[in-house]
Amino acid sequence: MNPAITQEVTTEKFSFTTKAKNIPGNLAIWAAILAEMSEFAVMFMVYFLAKVHNPELFYEGPTRLNTTAGTANTLIMLTSSFFVVRSVMAIRSDQLKQATRWLWGAVACGMLYLIIKYFEYQWNATQGLDTETNIFYGVYYYVTFNHFLHVGWGSAGLIWVIYRINTGIYTKTEHEGLINMALYWHMIDLAWITIFPLLYVIR
Amino acid sequence: MTQNTQIKLIDALWLLLITLTLFSAYMAERANPGFISIAIMAAVLAIKGRIIVDHFMELKHAHKLLRSLMRTYFYVIPSLIIIVYLFPEQIAKWTSLS
Repeated sequence: MNPAITQEVTTEKFSFTTKAKNIPGNLAIWAAILAEMSEFAVMFMVYFLAKVHNPELFYEGPTRLNTTAGTANTLIMLTSSFFVVRSVMAIRSDQLKQATRWLWGAVACGMLYLIIKYFEYQWNATQGLDTETNIFYGVYYYVTFNHFLHVGWGSAGLIWVIYRINTGIYTKTEHEGLINMALYWHMIDLAWITIFPLLYVIR
Repeated sequence: MTQNTQIKLIDALWLLLITLTLFSAYMAERANPGFISIAIMAAVLAIKGRIIVDHFMELKHAHKLLRSLMRTYFYVIPSLIIIVYLFPEQIAKWTSLS
């Protein structure tokens, strides 16, 4: 068999590329995103169940949290997602430098989010709140710290994508890794916009 | 859609997401918890989720199953917020072991 054809067949067979089926990114990232969304869904179910069994604690709980920090982090997460969308749009118009600038903006948002969260946890500690205070704060720490980790490794992923653009691996026509990372980052954003009303706002 | 129109749409949606967030934070500080405020919070979450799924993740015209799964998430969670607010005792009874 012609080696070129063999190569093509092999690539086709093992490729996760699913452009034909109209899926943004590839199937591997969607497996990850759906798994993560399910994981957060389980946490939200725990929240709802704990809430109906402990109505007083869940009524008082949000009032002792720092709403300003929660709101600031929501605005930051939404803005970081917006930056990531603009980066994808920039690379599609072959503006590689611009694409990395938008991504650095998203990384800066990620860092700011982590710093605010760190100070929020410190602030909680001075209020005498910790994981054992009561079940509301147990759920709060479990869910928000889990999300905190996602923002951490998500930011590292964004830096990896910037490196790939800078080294010429991602181009106007081939940048599936950027799309995958963008989708994953939006998933982190989706989780946060759900966490914010559940833990900080609704009583 | 041209690139410029697309950029304008994304910019406008970002502004809408920010406005909705500030609005729900304002509600949290001002309004007493009640059905109307809970329903508004749930609606705000549904709208924000839908914007991100449809426009940021670009699922609006994508594969039907993925789009439906992701959109359904933001029907289910807001609905649960309202159901849990309305029938907490009933749900607590159904989910008790004893």
